[in-house]
Amino acid sequence: MTLKECYAALNGDYEEAMGRLRSERLVQKFVLKFLDDGSFDLLCRSMEAGDQPEAFRAAHTIKGVCANMAFSALLESSSQLTELLRAGDMGDQAQELFQRVKADYAKTAQAIQAFREEAGG
Amino acid sequence: MEKITDRQKILIVDDSEMNRAILADMLGGEFDIVEAENGVEGVAMLQKHGLEISLVLLDIVMPVMDGFGVLTQMNKYRWIEDIPVIMISAERGSSHVERAFELGITDFISRPFDAIIVHRRVVNTILLYAKQKRLTAMVAEQIYEKEQRNSLMIDILSHCVEFRNGESGMHVRNVHILTETLLNALLRKTDRYHISQADISVISTASALHDIGKIAIPEEILNKPGKFTPEEFAIMKTHSMVGAEMLENLPSYQNEPLVSFAYQICRWHHERWDGRGYPDGLAGDEIPISAQIVAMADVYDALTSERVYKPPFSHGQAVNMIVGGECGQFNPLMLECLEECADEIRQELAAGGEQRRSQRDIQNVARELHRHKELTASERSLELLEHERMKYSFFASLTKEIQFEYTISPPALVLNSWGSEKLDLPEALLDPYQHPEALSIINKDVQSKLADALHSTTPGSPVVQFDCKLTIKGEERWHHIVARASWSAEEPPRYTGCIGKAMDIHNSRLELESLERQASHDSLTGLVNRAYAKKRIIERLEDRPAGHYAMVILDLDYFKSANDTYGHMFGDEVLKFLAERMRHSIRGGDIAARVGGDEFLIFLEYKDDLESAIEGVYGRVSGGVYKDFAISVSMGVASTQEAGCDYDSLFRCADQALYVVKHSGKKGYYNYYHKENAIDAATSAVSPIDAEGKEESE
Repeated sequence: MTLKECYAALNGDYEEAMGRLRSERLVQKFVLKFLDDGSFDLLCRSMEAGDQPEAFRAAHTIKGVCANMAFSALLESSSQLTELLRAGDMGDQAQELFQRVKADYAKTAQAIQAFREEAGG
Repeated sequence: MEKITDRQKILIVDDSEMNRAILADMLGGEFDIVEAENGVEGVAMLQKHGLEISLVLLDIVMPVMDGFGVLTQMNKYRWIEDIPVIMISAERGSSHVERAFELGITDFISRPFDAIIVHRRVVNTILLYAKQKRLTAMVAEQIYEKEQRNSLMIDILSHCVEFRNGESGMHVRNVHILTETLLNALLRKTDRYHISQADISVISTASALHDIGKIAIPEEILNKPGKFTPEEFAIMKTHSMVGAEMLENLPSYQNEPLVSFAYQICRWHHERWDGRGYPDGLAGDEIPISAQIVAMADVYDALTSERVYKPPFSHGQAVNMIVGGECGQFNPLMLECLEECADEIRQELAAGGEQRRSQRDIQNVARELHRHKELTASERSLELLEHERMKYSFFASLTKEIQFEYTISPPALVLNSWGSEKLDLPEALLDPYQHPEALSIINKDVQSKLADALHSTTPGSPVVQFDCKLTIKGEERWHHIVARASWSAEEPPRYTGCIGKAMDIHNSRLELESLERQASHDSLTGLVNRAYAKKRIIERLEDRPAGHYAMVILDLDYFKSANDTYGHMFGDEVLKFLAERMRHSIRGGDIAARVGGDEFLIFLEYKDDLESAIEGVYGRVSGGVYKDFAISVSMGVASTQEAGCDYDSLFRCADQALYVVKHSGKKGYYNYYHKENAIDAATSAVSPIDAEGKEESE
């Protein structure tokens, strides 16, 4: 799997990421690093605990990182969740969106995982 | 072309490690990167690195303290004036951006960001600030140089005049000092005259020119020793107008404040408050304040200096003459100033001289710099500072001691890296008093002791040191603390914090304690030895001479046969056994000691009934057996009532009493010393060797 194929698998925009970071080495480096970022775990924990400010910050961070990495699908769902949480909404709609973020994250993680295995091996 | 030479340091404050890594990667090739994962850490980093940081990249949404919080702190401590901030955020709301700019950020980059844009904007901002710093330094140098040149020219010119006048050369200097002192006093009193600090400096400098018109006065009049004729006086009086005209005719300096003040001073320094001066007969505040002040300074210095026609008057005489109107009428406010700053004037004039003069120049420049907010320390001094920091952190990294720096405002504690690791605290800690881990290290008593000690130091002797226990990773250990209080340069000085270090002296202290213990205790029985017992007893006797005390000397009966029959090892066991019994037979304040060999000593306090106290001790110590050996003890007892209240008499008398028991051939008895049946002082139960307090050999 190439980096480009990885982007396709996670519904991201490879060209955009390259345009921003200007080198395949950097894009690859941060794609691989993405799974180490604790923000998603923090989001899950704080959604479960009903900690709205913390959940907002976590979603906000995910959104920022995805924007920079051009992970379009996860960017879209996390942006929507961020706005709901900013407004203080932790209700059904937020929970629903959270499920979507989870699904998008899983997809993204899976793609990166597959890419990592091939890149590493 | 502008080029960044030294590696600049950039602080990245962002809660996402990933974001920091991306930014660090974009910039790390050219810059040193420092990272902080929330606002509080960011502020602590700014506190720690200060102006070493060339730029801050700041996120908005962060836990603990957000980006606006950081900007607020940076404004509070005015770091924002020296350190540019670029905000990076996914927040696009214009209110956010606006607020950030209002708080002083230089640039705003929205997420997602582009590597080239971030890089370019960072470099541009740093270059811009570096350029501004250089310009600042240049302006400062120019102001300083200009001031220097002005002073130099004025000095030369006014000394020419003085030389011609045959004056001592001190007049110009004194008028300068007096003008400055009086103006400062006036400024404290009223704002009626709208004088700024800068004006004071210029007026004082211009004061030197007050008599330049005298260049045009014929020398025979100028230096006439006797009284002037009316014609001569009329010529003399022209000097003020002549001086003013000289300045007026200067072609291109009419807008210089120095020249316009000098004009006022030359023309009107002989005007008087009541309108009876010359040349224009101005009255009251028609006379510019600069001329009023110099007039008074001129008169005062003339009175207090020696002249060919008069001796110097004292300060008091001069003030009286001026207030009394002998030299014409002056502004009543200024008369008050003159009277009020009598001491100051004396000091300033006495301290005057070249050193003082250049100091004053420097103060003026400093004041000027201070007035222009944009003028900060020159790059050269920043370099020096940087160098000092490097030196400090190098040496700090070599020593194995905890070094700390505490500032009150903002309340922050900075540790060297060794200390930070040792104490398990971050290197920079904001509000350490709110930090439970920090507080647990140094207990309340020690905290307040340290704070009290530091606050009561003076700028002249700011160092305190003492030993205390610190709790480090759960273990209490003795430390020696040396700290130096920092006092501000203002008057009165303000306590601003401290620097210092704490050295672990636990092991050496324990060693010392154990050495002390070894020196004071008998190694076999663990009882105190004779020398130490003597010291303690003397202390007790001196403490409460009226108390009732008794000394008991004990001797173990049949000890020699125990040694002979069972061997020395056994003998030692018996001695230990007895010592243990003695330890349990006395009360807290009493003392049990081994005198030497099989001789022991007990020193005890009793209330009224000596007999029952002794009976009790005897009952607990004597009797029973150790293994097969019967424990029997003989005792001699002396009380302070019978023997006197000093150690030597007590010991000697108890010893005599024991001697009596021994020589009666009885075993297991005790005997009191009584004055009336005292025996020859030379007799003693304690053998000469024992009496020296030496231990019996094994």
